Amino acid sequence: MIQTASVNALLQVALPNATRPAVVTVGILYFAVVLGISVWAARRTRTARDFFVAGKGIGLVALTVASVSVSVSGFAFIGGPGFIYAVGLGAMYIVLPAAVTNVMGAWVLAKRMRLLGEARALITIPDAIGARYRSRAAQGLSAVAILVGIVGYMATNALAMGVVINSIFGVGLGWGIWIGMGVTLAYSASGGILAGIYNDVFQGTLMALASVLVFIFVLQFGGGLGEISRTILAHEPAFLGPWGKLTPLAALSFFFVFSMGSLGQPQAVHKYYMLRDPLQLKWYPLLKTLGLVLVLLLYFSVGVGVKSFVLSGRLAPLASPDQATPALLLNVTPIILAALVFSGVAAATMSAANSFINIGAAVITHDLPIAFGRRVKNELRWGRAVTVLIAIAAAITAQRSGTMVAFLGIFGWGLFASTLVPALAVGLNWQGATRAGAMASIATGLIVTLALETTAYWKVFTFPAGVTASAVAMVSSFLVFFVVSWLTRRAAPAELDPDVRLVMEL
Amino acid sequence: MADGAASPADDITRRAALVALFIGIAAIACGYAAAFSSGGTGAAWLLALGIPVALAAIMILGAARGRRGIGPLKLPFAFVALVLVIGFGAALALPATEGPLSTLWLGLPMRAAIVIYGVGLLPIIVLPIAYALTFESQTLSAEDVERVRALARENQAAIESGAREPMGNQRRG
Repeated sequence: MIQTASVNALLQVALPNATRPAVVTVGILYFAVVLGISVWAARRTRTARDFFVAGKGIGLVALTVASVSVSVSGFAFIGGPGFIYAVGLGAMYIVLPAAVTNVMGAWVLAKRMRLLGEARALITIPDAIGARYRSRAAQGLSAVAILVGIVGYMATNALAMGVVINSIFGVGLGWGIWIGMGVTLAYSASGGILAGIYNDVFQGTLMALASVLVFIFVLQFGGGLGEISRTILAHEPAFLGPWGKLTPLAALSFFFVFSMGSLGQPQAVHKYYMLRDPLQLKWYPLLKTLGLVLVLLLYFSVGVGVKSFVLSGRLAPLASPDQATPALLLNVTPIILAALVFSGVAAATMSAANSFINIGAAVITHDLPIAFGRRVKNELRWGRAVTVLIAIAAAITAQRSGTMVAFLGIFGWGLFASTLVPALAVGLNWQGATRAGAMASIATGLIVTLALETTAYWKVFTFPAGVTASAVAMVSSFLVFFVVSWLTRRAAPAELDPDVRLVMEL
Repeated sequence: MADGAASPADDITRRAALVALFIGIAAIACGYAAAFSSGGTGAAWLLALGIPVALAAIMILGAARGRRGIGPLKLPFAFVALVLVIGFGAALALPATEGPLSTLWLGLPMRAAIVIYGVGLLPIIVLPIAYALTFESQTLSAEDVERVRALARENQAAIESGAREPMGNQRRG
């Protein structure tokens, strides 16, 4: 059984029952569209390359919207606004990095990843690490790191889907988990990443639409941002301070982990392989940044708006900060807007789950066999089979162990950041980086993250205010990468193949 | 060697970016170490300076192109690094004066406006536009793509003729 406290700790929300005819109708329409796209995509998926990187590639607009969709989770719609409601503008430091992360990713990774795809027909992130360092061991180690992170993310998303679907349809948490995972699995296993991408396009559009409408509604209802701010300043001026109620160190730590760490998130970085024409990268950062800003309008407006409405007595005090979005939607906004947002939250969790299922299946059927010098003969068939297994394992974990899921869900972002950013993002731009440096860095990120998160979770020790395990692990991983690469620098020239060298020099 | 490319030893821009990245990360590490020992404002200042340096450095590392360096991108990179330093610095240094009578800047009190509009919005206006405007000259041209494809075809032919073993992750077709 899932303990309520654990679920709340994980999702930072206990969604109320939103079962209304309009919400259910929009929810059913949403699932019908998802299934329709999946059937279409399944007919176009014939090879492993189709399954893992969408064959000959995806157009600019579709890839951009899909990338926006996987970059945000249900947290942006539910937990995030609640976090702002609780701590004020300090919570914005999680999303402010979006101003630089997309274009930073484009300069640091997009061109080189996409060209490596041209040179070697690579399909995974560990593929790129293996090619860069001419090392099956580095490929395998990075694959293990990604797999560990995915276990946490998948269980988290399975549970989040259960919570949202239960809220929309009132079917109970257990059924919610299996319905959500079943639908996600249907399109993941049949249409692979192609189904995922086009469902992401639909889901991303839905999220952006819901976010913009809620933003406009909140500003109108509150009489503009100035009036909203005046109300808050009259009661809780610290809320609108530059750090909110967080310490400056805590807010800046968020900025560091969510800016630099974005370069190691496989669900976003993996997308660089899929762009049909590499020259279309020109407009990718601009479009993606604008898309993210639209989706994140809800995060800011609901967090700040609900605070003002509660302080002015227009909305009843919340039972907990996590109720900010549900309370606004179910008590203030038109019900159709609530229906759109609830479907948007379901979309966000399913989109993320699909992406992680696909990456996890590629790790198991492609990267780990390569690390051991083997090849899976029919990667498409095995990819589909492993997709099913990952989804079922995630659903069972989510249903049976809320405490474990709560723990796993904490460290996904930080684990990807600390294990992949130095070896991948710096390594693809520095010819002096070495295989030993990359492997030491990945191992450091993995060990430090797991050790610190485990001991902190079970309260063996507590960090000083503002210091997080993710940040410490990422800094450690960077420093180890630099030091070991410098110590083994004589090996660097021999570890570059001519095609990889060309890609790094362009 | 690629057009305009330099040997690793000659690649001054990338070397400088790497040194700056190391310094930025080291400053952040010192900030966390300070938090463990004493905490307080000193640690936050180290992050407020280290983060912009590290982010600008890794962008320069990615954008640098051999002897050409970062060319016209110097200005947008310097601008964004400054915006971040000034934004974080102002938030740390300016006194907390938020209250019912505060002057609002686009709906927010001054320090919050500096962070939300300065740190959160100004880079959006500058960086993606700079990326698009310099894309062909600084990032990727059709000629670059063709060079990579030509080398890939050569490698593939060598592998298929048996003259070369494929890498572990090098796929046929």
